[in-house]
Amino acid sequence: MHLPHLPLETFRPNWSDPGKHVVIDREQVVAVSAQAAGCGVRIGMRRGSVQALCPEAILHEHDPVREQEALTGVALALLQYTPEVAFSEEASLLLDITASLRAFGGRRALCRLVRVSVGVLGFTPQIGMAPTAQGAWLLARYRSHRPMLRRVVRMKSMVRQLDTLPCTLLPAVRPYQEWLAGIGCYSLADLRKLPRSGLQRRSDKTVLSALDRAYGHAPELFEWVQAPKTFAAGLELPDRIEHAEAVLFAARRLLLQMTGWLVAQQLAVSRFVLLLQHERGRTAIPPTPIDIALADPAWHEEHLTRLLKERLGRIELNAPVIALRLEAAQVAAMLPPTESLFPDPGGTPADYHRLLELLTARLGDRSVLAPSPRADHRPEVCNAWSPAATVNRPDASEAQHLERPFWMLEKPIALPVREHRPFYGSPLRLIKGPERIECGWWDGGLVVRDYFIAQGAEATCYWVYQERMGEETCWFLQGLFG
Amino acid sequence: MSALVSPISTSKATLSSLPHAVWRADQMGSYQAATTPTGYRTLDAELPNGGWPSAALIELLLPQAGIGEMRLLRPTLGLIAKQRRIALVQPPHLPQVAAWTAWGLPADRLLWVRTARSADALWSAEQILRNGSCGALLFWQQQVRTESLRRLHLAAQGTEILFWMMRPLACAQDASPSPLRLALRPADGGIDIGIVKRRGPQRDTTFTLRVDDMPLASSTYSSTSTHAHMDRRAPAAPATRNLPAELV
Repeated sequence: MHLPHLPLETFRPNWSDPGKHVVIDREQVVAVSAQAAGCGVRIGMRRGSVQALCPEAILHEHDPVREQEALTGVALALLQYTPEVAFSEEASLLLDITASLRAFGGRRALCRLVRVSVGVLGFTPQIGMAPTAQGAWLLARYRSHRPMLRRVVRMKSMVRQLDTLPCTLLPAVRPYQEWLAGIGCYSLADLRKLPRSGLQRRSDKTVLSALDRAYGHAPELFEWVQAPKTFAAGLELPDRIEHAEAVLFAARRLLLQMTGWLVAQQLAVSRFVLLLQHERGRTAIPPTPIDIALADPAWHEEHLTRLLKERLGRIELNAPVIALRLEAAQVAAMLPPTESLFPDPGGTPADYHRLLELLTARLGDRSVLAPSPRADHRPEVCNAWSPAATVNRPDASEAQHLERPFWMLEKPIALPVREHRPFYGSPLRLIKGPERIECGWWDGGLVVRDYFIAQGAEATCYWVYQERMGEETCWFLQGLFG
Repeated sequence: MSALVSPISTSKATLSSLPHAVWRADQMGSYQAATTPTGYRTLDAELPNGGWPSAALIELLLPQAGIGEMRLLRPTLGLIAKQRRIALVQPPHLPQVAAWTAWGLPADRLLWVRTARSADALWSAEQILRNGSCGALLFWQQQVRTESLRRLHLAAQGTEILFWMMRPLACAQDASPSPLRLALRPADGGIDIGIVKRRGPQRDTTFTLRVDDMPLASSTYSSTSTHAHMDRRAPAAPATRNLPAELV
């Protein structure tokens, strides 16, 4: 996989606003954006001519360190498709996908996935596929103006395809470009027709070995990218971001890298932190942390992105964001779901956990509740609910076969008394009771109540109680029989 | 149309010649999706396919919360709670777990989603439907736009979830995409059910469904006799009534 626009996209990811951007290395233009090219800026121009042609163009200094960092990030993200990723010459990555084809549904599907992932990272990939790594590199590297076949599977078609490419595509050949052109050798096919001994004498041996590797006559050895032991990645944003939702685009890039890292290490994340670093003004503003804890360790980019999206929707930024940093705070071993022959209709427990996480991310902890009943006679104490993500299976307390209404009012309503009967919309007729509850003297929440079931004129049943404390007896409505 | 009003003897031949897909006004309709029995034979007989349809929006129109709607759903919820979870989104009051366990249902099957804004509630309901890990969704909403209803109905269609939506009785006048709408009113020892909309013949009259475990006055009970058992003072109601007079 080759990134043809890497120098430019290091500064301007492909999702940022289009503009006239020019990257300059040693006073020479090395990359231009499409808008700048429209103004006549070409690769190889001098700085002065760019400024003369297009004065509003934004000039960036070529930064090999940042480019290498970006390439490492891409490599990390691509580790989710294969464990064998290697850096190659000229902004390219080599992926050995022999073992991954089946898992990702064929070479076309895999290419599509890689293309989407790299696109999310903010780069435009050019993907070549061939039985040999050098061959794939050549196919990916070649910049043609017409659409061309970059994916070959069989050796024969690869040879046919490679023979048409110019021989100067190989970096080892470039020093001898002039005399090869002088003897009329332009394509790789021409180069192969030359006698080997003569070619080796007139050039160095790297030419022949690169050629042999491309055509599969010599073995290839690579140094695969090793995933680091811990994950922390940062990203400087091309612009200042003032809306929390806009952070998501950039954060997805970091999440994708984390996904790649997790898959490579066979881990799942259970807690991660996104730090939003703010512009340093007069006073340094500490970065805003977004801490996301998961009920069930996950490693799916899609799910993590949705959680982050809901979370970002709730956050208000107090200063513009200039950089992001993502850290995997807590990881656990990856437990792939066990596939069953007949799946349950309700989905897996992991699905349910995912739902809880999603709801909690948007609504907050105190809004997604599961019952955690307490053994107490006071209904308001007994009926306790706690956050569903934290609650474990409530202990199966012995089922009390008491008649309880399904709905309980948040706060009991004091009922007026008319003609010696409690009144709620209509005079209430007591139809069942009393059930006396007297408890709570030990924790200061003393209740002395007689509970009745009462019925209104329109046959609705209510759960009312009479407070027996003090001189007066008051009626309260506490529940409705739903 | 003439086939429908003509005498039976002549219409039989005409009717049999009608294509299978032609629906007759006296025929009960049917659903594509599976149905779950309601647990009440009278109600099953009134519903197409004899039960609550899954993968559809079912509307229950109530004058107020707490008229026995949960008891009506109790047999169905009991069936679902054996395997799957039940989500309550924005219920009108606190659900009481003791009532749930007293019905013999496991408490860990309940999920209560409490939201501040109705947009959040609609979003949550849609997410629960799309996720599909819950077996039933009960959703309370006072004001809801037709677009949102249609959206929820669509979201329900791809799932195997029983989705009830509780709305005020006044909404019976409004149009709704729901294929089954019932108006519930409290009745002595049961619930009065009026069918606002169903796939089948129109039914204008309501019928009373006896719900067995409605709190009922026991035969030996009379409201005056129990007062004697209790050692408490006489109600001080007259005193409270006089209180404002003293202030004036």
